[in-house]
Amino acid sequence: MTSRSISYVVAAGALVALTALAFAVGRYPVSLSEIVSLLASKITGSVNTLPPNVETVVMQVRGPRVLAALVVGAALAAAGTAYQGMFRNPLVSPDILGVSTGAALGAVLAIFLSLNVISIQLFAFGGGLAAVGLVYWIGSRLRGHDPLLALVLTGVVIGTLLGSVIALLKYLADPYNQLPAITYWLLGSLAAIAPRDLAAAAPLALAGLAPMLLLRWRMNLLALPDDEARALGVDTRRLRALIVAAATLMTAAAVAVSGIIGWVGLLIPHAARLLVGPDFGRLLPLAMLLGAAFLLGVDTLCRTLVTIEIPPGVLTALIGTPAFLWLFALARRSW
Amino acid sequence: MSRFFVLTLLTFLGKACFAQSAAVDASGREIRPPAKVERVYAAGPPASLLVFAIAPDKLTGWTRAMRPNEVEFFPERYANLPELGRLTGRGNTANVEMVLNAKTGLIVDVGSTGPTLASLASQVQEQTRIPYALFDGSIESTPATLRALGRLMGNEAPAEKLAAWYERELGDLKQRVSRAKEHPLVYYGRSASGLQTGGKGSINVEALEVLGARNAAAEARAGLVTVSFEQVLLWNPEVILTTDPNFWKSVWTDSRWRAVSAVEQNRVYLSPHLPFGWFDFPPGANRLLGLWWAGKLLYPQVFDVDLRAKVTEFHRLFYHREPTAAQLDALLGEPGVLPK
Amino acid sequence: MLQIDQLAFGFPGRTIGRDVSFSLAAGEAMCVLGPNGGGKTTLFRTILGLLEPHGGSIALDGVALGSLSRSEVARRIGYVPQGHSAYFAFTVLDFVLMGRTAHLGVFSVPGRKDRELAARVLESLGIGHLSHRPVTQISGGERQLALVARALAQEPGLLVLDEPTASLDFGNQVRVLEKILALAAGGISILFATHDPDHAFLASQRVLLLAEGRALEVGAPTEVIRPDSLQRLYGVSVEVLPLAGGRHTCLPALR
Repeated sequence: MTSRSISYVVAAGALVALTALAFAVGRYPVSLSEIVSLLASKITGSVNTLPPNVETVVMQVRGPRVLAALVVGAALAAAGTAYQGMFRNPLVSPDILGVSTGAALGAVLAIFLSLNVISIQLFAFGGGLAAVGLVYWIGSRLRGHDPLLALVLTGVVIGTLLGSVIALLKYLADPYNQLPAITYWLLGSLAAIAPRDLAAAAPLALAGLAPMLLLRWRMNLLALPDDEARALGVDTRRLRALIVAAATLMTAAAVAVSGIIGWVGLLIPHAARLLVGPDFGRLLPLAMLLGAAFLLGVDTLCRTLVTIEIPPGVLTALIGTPAFLWLFALARRSW
Repeated sequence: MSRFFVLTLLTFLGKACFAQSAAVDASGREIRPPAKVERVYAAGPPASLLVFAIAPDKLTGWTRAMRPNEVEFFPERYANLPELGRLTGRGNTANVEMVLNAKTGLIVDVGSTGPTLASLASQVQEQTRIPYALFDGSIESTPATLRALGRLMGNEAPAEKLAAWYERELGDLKQRVSRAKEHPLVYYGRSASGLQTGGKGSINVEALEVLGARNAAAEARAGLVTVSFEQVLLWNPEVILTTDPNFWKSVWTDSRWRAVSAVEQNRVYLSPHLPFGWFDFPPGANRLLGLWWAGKLLYPQVFDVDLRAKVTEFHRLFYHREPTAAQLDALLGEPGVLPK
Repeated sequence: MLQIDQLAFGFPGRTIGRDVSFSLAAGEAMCVLGPNGGGKTTLFRTILGLLEPHGGSIALDGVALGSLSRSEVARRIGYVPQGHSAYFAFTVLDFVLMGRTAHLGVFSVPGRKDRELAARVLESLGIGHLSHRPVTQISGGERQLALVARALAQEPGLLVLDEPTASLDFGNQVRVLEKILALAAGGISILFATHDPDHAFLASQRVLLLAEGRALEVGAPTEVIRPDSLQRLYGVSVEVLPLAGGRHTCLPALR
């Protein structure tokens, strides 16, 4: 028990420290004292004498970006945790039912149509929801099959189909203008985060999180074979539908503002499970803390290492692949 | 003696009929065009532009069909030429058989001349038995490219006329730039977010470099890169140029961009894009207009030129159709193109 | 407690059993004997409400099964499935706590009362010392007992066990049978399936012979388990031998 508590304390502490660090570093030089006095003046409502650029950087640029990294990291980790439990499979990522591919298709289509940033995000969000809706609708109509298997197979098939439509759009896109924009969106980035992105994504992520938190005990029963869970009093079909909806909402909101960032939803739930075990009520908060910290750390590196931006998906993969293999080797037969 | 004379004459004529002497294209490959080049396939937009300018009747088609708002800038019989796709290494869409079908005598591409594209060109050449010539697409080498292309196509006179004009224009530009006292810091923002830009040596900001402008993103590597907003704020450019109307519109209401000097000074400009873009893409001779436009924005004192006259002349020479007053109004009057 | 009347059961589109009727009173233990593929598991799943009946009726304490919600059913019937491969390393205590779900609100988490009950159940089965061990690290027999504990945590009136002694060593088999007797004596109805006719003699008051989905006979073990009925059921010849104290045993007559 105590070792579990230690995990939380350490994770929370690391997150706070990382957040403070993230606020303090960046391409635009802002000293720690400036940040502190700015935040203090915001809280107390008093006027500050800092140069206006400092306020812009901290409140309009860096602040929203840091918070967005936390929200996206936590959302992806939560969705991954829920799905790994629900599908009883450690290789499952939040995209297994196609939410990221659907969002990508929406965004690529919007770029292809030369729409503005807000439209691209809306298309991405809608695309993610629509893709999973389609997968769920088809998957639940495949009678006579294990419901989970039906969902996964449908997800793979639809995901591949949507992927080929994306490939077609890339082919037809103007190679000088649209194609680079599409490529960059697909690589993912938090560089363009504006305060309104955070204002839109955070409530949606929270809306998806709420059912997961409320139903955290019943989530554990999804780890049992369907018959057993139902015999214990859980309406598994309805619970699964709800969890899929919640995870999709969170992930679609995250992907709409950040593009495709992989590995967070796959790796973090694993690490968290190794630390505190599979009980969803204990696992979910830790996974969210770790996911937020991981993505914040990665994004901070992405925006400070060199002059130009490194796509976060590249770093999460570079760090994630060896880390995942190491964790998987560490874990004993069970997880 | 007369027999000898006749033989020599016949040999000479024979050579002239069957093949021109081999030329070497910009990638160093030997090109043997047919004696008379009737039809030319241009493998990408920069090539289409030059072939069309030199000898519009020889162009087999456009790489992409003209959109309705582009058609009005060209003589009708050329605007509706068939769409043949690209064969230029940047995502090919052309069907090689279609190229053959169009009875092409020569394939031309203008742009990069590096080994990858050279090998692609050689491959297509072997496949189709049609000579495939590559030319340098940089702005400064446009006159030389025009002349070489004209020689290859057998249209030296019109090509020379265009090349000489282009050279004079470039010279005039350079001369004005040298007289400019202030060189403001310029940031070129692409894509809807405005956070894509070109580093030093990137083809995307070639026009800026020809103009001797100070590229805010010069410290970034060559090529297209994404930067963070903090970085832009740190550079704090005095002028922002963009090719994305969505970005231009959003820059005035976005709380983050307002802090940048260029936005404060109201010096954010949107490049015209019809019928070919003026700045950055397609990376062809069309960028001359972008040079005049950007020059006027960056060095207003020394660039006291009549932009309308420049546009008219360029369109007449390269697109074979002078724009009407209304078209000029639409081009230059679009919000963001020129200072109010 | 349980009233089954002319029940027809099977999978969607395929009926595999019909005309099954029996009733089970509180504190009664009934053993279902039958060959593989005879329909025991399907019958149990239908009684648990996991499959739709194809005909007839099932009533729990006089209430039709179909009219009860999943939680209501779970508060009355506990299910001990046959075998269980554990995917996740839940502790044995957490595993047993899952049985309390039917008694919790939809958004609730098990509380102190639930934990104490689960601990008591584990103790009563003799595996209290395994409370904090991961389910994946205990033996098959211990896991079977954990499954029983989980079902008991539901505080059911009826316990349904599908071949509870399969893959258990002899000692554990005996312990499970003893538990069944004790639970029945405590007032819980028990319905269990087994292959071994001796288990019927040892631990049940009623026996149902099920073959090809049909109930061949229902009655007390000594009435129902006879050489000819077992011959009909399994196709092998046996001898039923009386023992001291009114007990019986069944021995195959090998060729």
